[in-house]
Amino acid sequence: MQAVVLKGYKNGYEILIEPTASFSEIKAELSTLMEKLHNDETSDRTKKYSFNLNTGMILYTAEQKQELENIFADYPRFSIHKIQSAVLEKKEAQEIVDSTTVHVNGDIIRNGQDKLIHGDLLFLGTVHQGGILRATGSIYILGTVNGIVCAGHENNTRAIIAGNLQGAQQLRIADLVDIVNEDQKIAQADQTSALFVNDLHALAVTQIEQLKTIRPKLFIKAGGF
Amino acid sequence: MGKAVVITSGKGGVGKTTTTANLGTALALMNKKVCLVDLDIGLRNLDVVLGLDNRIIYDIVDVVEGRAKLPQALIKDKRFNDKLFLLPAAQNADKTSVEPEQVAEIVDELKSEFDYVFLDCPAGIEQGFMNAVTAADEAIVVSTPEISAVRDADRVVGLLEQQDLDKPPMLVINRIRKNMMNAGNMMDVDEITRHLSIELLGIVFDEDQVIATSNKGEPIVLYEKNPAAQGYRDIARRVEGETVPLMSLKEDKQPGFFQRIGAWFKKDK
Repeated sequence: MQAVVLKGYKNGYEILIEPTASFSEIKAELSTLMEKLHNDETSDRTKKYSFNLNTGMILYTAEQKQELENIFADYPRFSIHKIQSAVLEKKEAQEIVDSTTVHVNGDIIRNGQDKLIHGDLLFLGTVHQGGILRATGSIYILGTVNGIVCAGHENNTRAIIAGNLQGAQQLRIADLVDIVNEDQKIAQADQTSALFVNDLHALAVTQIEQLKTIRPKLFIKAGGF
Repeated sequence: MGKAVVITSGKGGVGKTTTTANLGTALALMNKKVCLVDLDIGLRNLDVVLGLDNRIIYDIVDVVEGRAKLPQALIKDKRFNDKLFLLPAAQNADKTSVEPEQVAEIVDELKSEFDYVFLDCPAGIEQGFMNAVTAADEAIVVSTPEISAVRDADRVVGLLEQQDLDKPPMLVINRIRKNMMNAGNMMDVDEITRHLSIELLGIVFDEDQVIATSNKGEPIVLYEKNPAAQGYRDIARRVEGETVPLMSLKEDKQPGFFQRIGAWFKKDK
């Protein structure tokens, strides 16, 4: 059983790593393979080659990846394009799911409380004065907000806040803050509006009908990751 | 086995101690065995409101530190046929001299003896608050119709919801002035209840007599006719599970028959 298999495709070379083989075995075989390729008389000596390493059902640690790269370091003509795997860590997968899901939340966020949601949020609850509702993505409000709403937590300027925003104390997207009473950006009439970060990196208000042109990506949520 | 109820508010001066004293007294008058525990260590005053300050020998810190047994530290209020007891707070110690677990231990011991153990919580949300809340099964949040008190109550309700209480906190709105509320100059009862979204346990009107009686060491509930006393009695009955309608906010001075005739004559002049 070979631990390392070289395959050539139209768009490059791939090295398949056999998941059942031991790591020392893989390293040894990879070195031999590189040595063999290096000494191959028929190949073009000036041309550089880059390989995709496919580890299949195995996830390598950073140190292991480094060790593999060290093998390639001896051969200046060869390099690793990327190391890919067919599997994901659960934590990472959860993060991806969270960041692509619109979470539905109906909590009461009281004075002094600070709630953070990973991903987008459809909010049906109440934020009391002094409470903070944060999401790493966009926030769509159907409930009541009398406190602080913060979308795009940790610098996601693509996030928006939509809904009836007049009651809020502050609206924040990424690092920008709008103090609702003072800044007077939010529509006076009791209608829904949307807040986003415009091209000048300032907060701007728009009608929700306009969102489709301003943030078309919000509407293509379908499909996996 | 009784239950432990913490009476808290966040903000100071809204009437936690007055509510503790009066609710406890009202339940004692309903023949329940009640123990009031003052946890405002360093600034005790539940004993003063009840008129029991001259009888303190041992306090809660003495019990925690083993200088006294719990029954020795309990003060019996002789007015209520052995129904009302007080465990006073210490004066020359501070809130950090007892730990939440020690309070919980004492309260557990009291619960086996009493129907109700009321914990009078100090203002603030620091250790004194945790001492009181950790031991409690239920919570009553006291607020006044002022925005500062309501905000603090909101904060406290948030903290209480994180504790594992048997049921959600209940609200008492204290110091209601009918005329101001009717004129719209004060947040109204519905507005506060809806804002805090917790169950309203009762309302108490602002009456001069509350201060006058507590200065004499007598809880207002002893004066049956007083509207504030009525408020506390209603709360006690609701705590006991009875359904009691909320007191009316209408001004009680409707012009009488003769007054109306008088006004009629005045109009002629």
